[in-house]
Amino acid sequence: MPNLFTLVLQIAVILAVCRAVGGLFRLLHQPRVVGEMFAGILLGPSLLGWVAPHLSAYLFPASSLGYLSALSQVGVVIFMFLVGLGINPKELKSQGHAAVLTSHVSITAPFVLASFLALYLYPRLSDDSVAFTHFALFMGAAMSITAFPVLARILTERNALGSRLGTLAIACAAVDDVTGWCILAYIVTLIRAAKSSTPIWMTLSGIIVFAVIMIYGVRRLLRRFEAVYSRSGSLSESLMAFMLLLVLASALCTEALGIHLLFGAFLMGAIMPKEHHFVRYVLDRFETITVTMLLPLFFAFTGLRTNIALLKGPGMWVYCGLIILVATAGKLGGSMLASWLAGMGLRESAGLGTLMNTRGLMELVILNIGLDVKVISPALFSMMVIMALVTTFMTTPVLELICPLRSTAKEPAGAEVTLAQLSLKLNPTDRSAA
Amino acid sequence: MGPISSANKKFLVIYVLLVGLPLLGLAGVLRSGRGLRAPISVDGVWRFRTDSANLPAGGCGQPLASLQDSLVTISQSGKGLVVSLNNGAPAAGSGVIEGTTLNATVPLPETSANAPGCASDNLLTLRATIDPKADPRSMQGTISANGCASCASVQYQAVRQTRSARSDAH
Repeated sequence: MPNLFTLVLQIAVILAVCRAVGGLFRLLHQPRVVGEMFAGILLGPSLLGWVAPHLSAYLFPASSLGYLSALSQVGVVIFMFLVGLGINPKELKSQGHAAVLTSHVSITAPFVLASFLALYLYPRLSDDSVAFTHFALFMGAAMSITAFPVLARILTERNALGSRLGTLAIACAAVDDVTGWCILAYIVTLIRAAKSSTPIWMTLSGIIVFAVIMIYGVRRLLRRFEAVYSRSGSLSESLMAFMLLLVLASALCTEALGIHLLFGAFLMGAIMPKEHHFVRYVLDRFETITVTMLLPLFFAFTGLRTNIALLKGPGMWVYCGLIILVATAGKLGGSMLASWLAGMGLRESAGLGTLMNTRGLMELVILNIGLDVKVISPALFSMMVIMALVTTFMTTPVLELICPLRSTAKEPAGAEVTLAQLSLKLNPTDRSAA
Repeated sequence: MGPISSANKKFLVIYVLLVGLPLLGLAGVLRSGRGLRAPISVDGVWRFRTDSANLPAGGCGQPLASLQDSLVTISQSGKGLVVSLNNGAPAAGSGVIEGTTLNATVPLPETSANAPGCASDNLLTLRATIDPKADPRSMQGTISANGCASCASVQYQAVRQTRSARSDAH
């Protein structure tokens, strides 16, 4: 049984610290979520465990972390459903060649550069229980992801969602996320199959059958949610509970198939109807508790697994610097080059590259999966978390340098944007409703 | 099918250069990386069994005695190790693996270091040789308490626990 006092105390401390640090980051014109990610690190062994080990041991005893982990994973399952729900890859079609080229290059460039870096890092930061192929593919997938939700928040806060740069960035990020999660699902399947008695062809066949059933069968069923919403303007509590059950069932199916809970949740969101009012309604219902309570628990849990003290000596910091350099060169450089060659101006291309380099929360989700399946070591996990923080933090100031805000277009500082508002803003016809 | 426009031709050429060629590069990297060797894996929970005949009776040798049939967790990042003792008062130290040789030191908690006959800088030193072919992986070596003048080194053998056994252990 969990020690309820400890668990509730943990939740209270995490929420307080995340809100406080998130608020401080708002003053720095950073999205609150970046501050919350940083707060998670502060609560872990990198700061609290280092300066006040007794307090850290009292607040976060090792025996209690299983419950915190479970709660945070439930939060991430729902969050991945919301991310899938907010993504509409069809938006790419209206963007033409520039978007296709940029989105594909923004995946392949960091992926390939990361695999080259893997040649150097594998003998230094991995061990012989991990195959090089798995290590290199995971590094590639982890570096090629873009944090769609954080990117959308940054664009919204700059009032740039309707601009060419904004719509292109959102479309590319949507494609990146869908592609990135497909690649990651494949890699996790490979890794788990190597340690399982089930043949990989059986696992892959199961996943393909599951995906086909979801896309061509369950998707039709999901349209009824939208139909009910269109008729009555709302969904009953029973229907919302049924939707949540479907998310959990999908998550359980992918876990049982040998990939991960999160893929099922993401897929369920991705195949949901994309009518913007419906999307906004569902996001509104799920988002508040997920974003304000469960995600901070995930940040704290990630922070508790991140130990910057593992980066001992200048050599380890050189590896960390290389990771940040390669991640930025691949994502920012690749996207910038592709969009410039596709006909965008240099400044706009640089802006797009900077936006695509935002990794944020999605990176943390992927890294936690990597640590769970033991494809990355604790030290490499910590380096990659630092990379995620640096690349996300740098987005706003670098973007301000490249494409300064027009003061008239700026929303008030401190304004927080939810995925639901984003869904509304993405659809120009709804501006009046906003 | 009509002729491909010059814009589409340009797009195709750029696409092949920026997407197709890098993917070929990726294939090359994956191929050449197969020859790389990473350090031997020692990550996980190990069950330690010490030679009971040489165990000190108590005092500052107590930490050595408590290692008999105990679990030790090793967290690995390349050659770097974090070694955590799960017996009695928890303690964690660092180590390194070179080839099949493991060396680690674990500073003991103050309660152990303050025991009669102990130096203030009481450290447990582990030296072991890994058998990489054994399944489950095993090691054997010696443990000594640096701050305990009267304690002899103790021989030990350790076997890495399987995942289910690790879960049971927690």
